[in-house]
Amino acid sequence: MIELSTLTYLFMAMTGVVSLVATYLAILESNLIKAVVLSAIQSTTYVILFYLLMAPDIALVYIPVSVGLYPAAVLFLIKKTERTENDSNEVVASED
Amino acid sequence: MVEELINEILMAAGTLMIVVGAIADLTGSIGLLRFPNFFVRLHAATVGTIWGAFVPLIGAALFAAGYVELGTHRWFVTGGAAVTALLILLLGPVGSHALARASYRSKAAIPYPLIHDALKEKFREGGKE
Amino acid sequence: MNSELYLSVVFWVIPIYLTAFALYSVRAVKGPTIPDSVLAIDSMSYDLAAFITILSILFHSPILIAVAMVLALWVFALDIYVAKYLESREMGE
Repeated sequence: MIELSTLTYLFMAMTGVVSLVATYLAILESNLIKAVVLSAIQSTTYVILFYLLMAPDIALVYIPVSVGLYPAAVLFLIKKTERTENDSNEVVASED
Repeated sequence: MVEELINEILMAAGTLMIVVGAIADLTGSIGLLRFPNFFVRLHAATVGTIWGAFVPLIGAALFAAGYVELGTHRWFVTGGAAVTALLILLLGPVGSHALARASYRSKAAIPYPLIHDALKEKFREGGKE
Repeated sequence: MNSELYLSVVFWVIPIYLTAFALYSVRAVKGPTIPDSVLAIDSMSYDLAAFITILSILFHSPILIAVAMVLALWVFALDIYVAKYLESREMGE
């Protein structure tokens, strides 16, 4: 007979692995919109971890900041600048 | 006696709805993984949203209303689950529709097994006149 | 009052949900286009709200339910942000 805590620890391990994979791919991704979406996956898995560790107050603060406000701010910034990340370090100056 | 019967009926209905929701959730996730392109995957995602989230939330509300061991706080669970179910019923289709409209008009997702595109002809006629 | 029977039935529902979350995560990570990933995150979060409600009943701690409402609302906001970005990129500001 499986107990409830066993399934809880299994769920924690699963979300930890998914958040690690999402973070690694978000660092390597050169398309910035895909990087924002991958960081949203990482935020969702961290919400599950905060919930399972019995910290609903931290989860309630973490959801609006990392699922709502952070992708909004980053998408607004990407709309003003370039969409892909360049390998060259030269600054692309937009005069107009 | 009557209260115990009512609680029993509420818990049985809630359990049934939760099981139906879990099976629909698994179906929706398999469909989302196996379907060929974005516009077909919208169908599976809608199955997973309405049948997989709305139905078990209503079931959890009924289950918590009949589960006496939770104490007085079970009405908190019932109200929260009902409000979340109502929000998902309103917000899920709106979000899917906005995403589908944006990805069709910006050509972010290409529907490749496409034979006849009636919406494109409609846009073109609307653009001429 | 045999609430133990119903609780055990609800307990065995949890592995089905875990399998579904694993499949949603695969599609969200490897989605070929951006709307695929956003759609997978959307569906996963709505189902996660339902799963959080079921777990708060099984944990006997009703205060945990407040996460579900907030999660459903803010994931809808993420959806609208990405849709607005995609539409404004091709159709002009």
